[in-house]
Amino acid sequence: MMRPLALAALLLALAAPAAPAQEAYPSRPITVVVPFPPGGQADLNARPIAAALERVLKNPVGVVNRAGAAGAVGMASVAGAKPDGYTLLLALSSISIIPEADKLFDRKPAYTTDQLAPVALLSADPTVLVVPADRPWKSVKELVEDAKKRPGQVSFSSSGVYGTLHMAMEMLMHAAGVKLKHIPYNGAGPALTAILGGQVDALASGPAVVIPHVKSGKLRPLACWGDRRVASLPDVPTFKELGYEDVEFYIWAGLFAPAGTPEPVMQRLRQAVGQAVEDPEYKAAMARIETPIAYMDAPEFKRFWDKDAKMLAEAVRRVGRVEGAQ
Amino acid sequence: VAETLGGLALGFQVALSPGVLAYAVLGCLVGTLVGVLPGVGPLAGISLLLPATFGLDATRAIVLLAGIYYGSMYGGSTTSILMRIPGEAASVMTCVDGYAMTRKGRGGAALAVAAVGSFVAGTLSVVGLMLLAPPLAEFALRFGPPEYTALLVLGLLALAFMSTGSMPKALATAALGLLFGMVGIDTMTGFTRFGFGLRELGDGIGVVPVAVGLFGLAEVLFTAGQPEPPPVIRPRLAELLPTRAEWRASVGPIGRGTVLGFLVGVIPGSAHIISSFVSYAVERRLSRRPERFGQGAVEGVAGPESANNAAASGALVPMLALGVPSGPIPAVLLAAIMVHGLTPGPMLIRQSPELFWGFIASMYVGNLVLLALNLPFVGLFVNLLRIPYRWLYPAILAFCVLGVYAVNQSAVDLWVMTIMGALGYLLRKLDFEPAPIVLGLVLAPALEMSFRQSLALSGGDYGIFVARPIAALMLAAGVALLALGALPAAVRGVRGRLGLDSPLVKEDTAR
Repeated sequence: MMRPLALAALLLALAAPAAPAQEAYPSRPITVVVPFPPGGQADLNARPIAAALERVLKNPVGVVNRAGAAGAVGMASVAGAKPDGYTLLLALSSISIIPEADKLFDRKPAYTTDQLAPVALLSADPTVLVVPADRPWKSVKELVEDAKKRPGQVSFSSSGVYGTLHMAMEMLMHAAGVKLKHIPYNGAGPALTAILGGQVDALASGPAVVIPHVKSGKLRPLACWGDRRVASLPDVPTFKELGYEDVEFYIWAGLFAPAGTPEPVMQRLRQAVGQAVEDPEYKAAMARIETPIAYMDAPEFKRFWDKDAKMLAEAVRRVGRVEGAQ
Repeated sequence: VAETLGGLALGFQVALSPGVLAYAVLGCLVGTLVGVLPGVGPLAGISLLLPATFGLDATRAIVLLAGIYYGSMYGGSTTSILMRIPGEAASVMTCVDGYAMTRKGRGGAALAVAAVGSFVAGTLSVVGLMLLAPPLAEFALRFGPPEYTALLVLGLLALAFMSTGSMPKALATAALGLLFGMVGIDTMTGFTRFGFGLRELGDGIGVVPVAVGLFGLAEVLFTAGQPEPPPVIRPRLAELLPTRAEWRASVGPIGRGTVLGFLVGVIPGSAHIISSFVSYAVERRLSRRPERFGQGAVEGVAGPESANNAAASGALVPMLALGVPSGPIPAVLLAAIMVHGLTPGPMLIRQSPELFWGFIASMYVGNLVLLALNLPFVGLFVNLLRIPYRWLYPAILAFCVLGVYAVNQSAVDLWVMTIMGALGYLLRKLDFEPAPIVLGLVLAPALEMSFRQSLALSGGDYGIFVARPIAALMLAAGVALLALGALPAAVRGVRGRLGLDSPLVKEDTAR
């Protein structure tokens, strides 16, 4: 009732006679699972690519939101799905964080990253460091110097403990050798509201989120985590330019299939995504949500993901278990 | 002002054009349905329809989704009043007196008052949204963790007035609700608490299964346990409309509920649910005969129903004025605008005036549509009660199960609902009011988080709660409320001496 596409897919699956082994892929609807609620970053990335894939494959491609436990519920459902190419996952950077956090707390892991095979990277947005416009710091240098003088006093908000926005700041703190005060919120939206109200002193978040408030003069950007500057913020340096070599972080969105998906199916999928990202309608849709396309095919994406996952795992372990609110 | 009127004129041109009007009506219809179905709340409703709006233009998309949002606030009261099942969380308070009115044969009157109250609150708060949005939004942003903590404490202390029975009982059930709210991943440290190894409990216990279980399921169980089935109510047409006395008693609560709901709604977070609880508490406190509350007092329907509608519009203030997602529902509405390449916030009104003013005007139109939809439905819905209980109750059970399952497709939610049904039955038998459990459950995560955020900000210094003026003021108000609650007799004495008691009350006592 709530998921017409899923229901339709299920009914079709039941109605179809047992599929012959060499059947051409795809021959029935494909489901892209988004492990977050509609309207979020992952959902906004999933819908245009699903529509473009549908045009390329000439086969229905539906999006299903399976939210819960910061994405773990939906990611685990795809990790355990039949590896036939009909259940795909659109995940964000946090896919590498959840198994690490599970390890940290001796929880039974929801899934492991080797249960999922990368298909393609779709977008990668570097986070941007912003401070309220009424704060005195005009550069990263001033902020870091002030934070060194009074450790644990300068505060920042995040989307949640071990969340992507927390990890970005953790990398910066480690590289700059400073301690900032972490105030976690439950989501990127509330974290933004907090800095707009001047409740905290800093925030790392995606360009699409902060740029409207930079333009309205409420927030001041100091630096970004990418390996080159953000196109719409040409005056804002990267941390690499400022001498922080290892401070690189992206909120990325990528497409995954369950590990063990047959090679011919993977080939077809990769080729289809390659065509889909060139689709003019796809490009227009991504431009509207102000998210630059950063397409990478599976082998390249695999290397990118491995490096990113290693970096995030280190950051999670460095944070360790947070004891109490401090 | 001239600019506003000019904008509004443009807005009505947009909103009344057939293409847009049709989507507003559709949104209101879906919203009413979403509100009526137990479990499926406004968030689930608009999330479900969000993808369908990607193909529409931005104006139609926002008009449709907003219609679902405020429409569900109208629909939510229907099942609360007729069957004691909250259609959505903000209607929990309506179950208490609304259902009591139904048992007394005044269900039609309760529905009509709820619809008119919702209309007045909806319309007036759109006026507020239009005129006051920018300054109010700036004010709302000043609500940091300490202010939010103080507000939630104030909400909990309002319990002292809400309880229809004894205060210790109400506080005990609220404490139970707060404990239920502790289940799940601790947002400050990432630990899972009381999860019993169930991943689904990581996000905490859902409000919907608890509310449907405690009220709906428990009511079915309770009725089934009676030696005699309750008499089937056969409403007559003449009894459908509120009497003049009932109208007169509703005017004040509707006005107060509107102002209160709007102001509480503006504050970022999920505070809008507490607007109905606080409104109920205020009405009970102001009433000359508070003992009528819980026995079918029309004020107990008029106040909270107006408050939750006004809060729905209030929550749009930070979104429209600043482009800030002030809660889960405005966040989805923001996404609906953003996929069309528009940036909500201060620039929206200049960037695309047709969208901004069309949206505002569509809310005036939508509220009228909803009133026109809901008043005739009163007769229809009330006649549902003619269905014999042996048919009605199994159907209610089926709707409860469907609605709760539909929200997350989680079987764990169904177990929570079942357990809460049993608990609700037990509480009824022992004469406890279940509403404080829902309030506790809703407030616990937000209260805990903002409390610990405050202490993290201050480095463990509790002084932060009194050092910030807004927080200090609200805490003082809370303490005053508690003191007044503990001394109801003394208060009545003061009122008598001040000559505040009206002749009407004296008549009553004389009788």
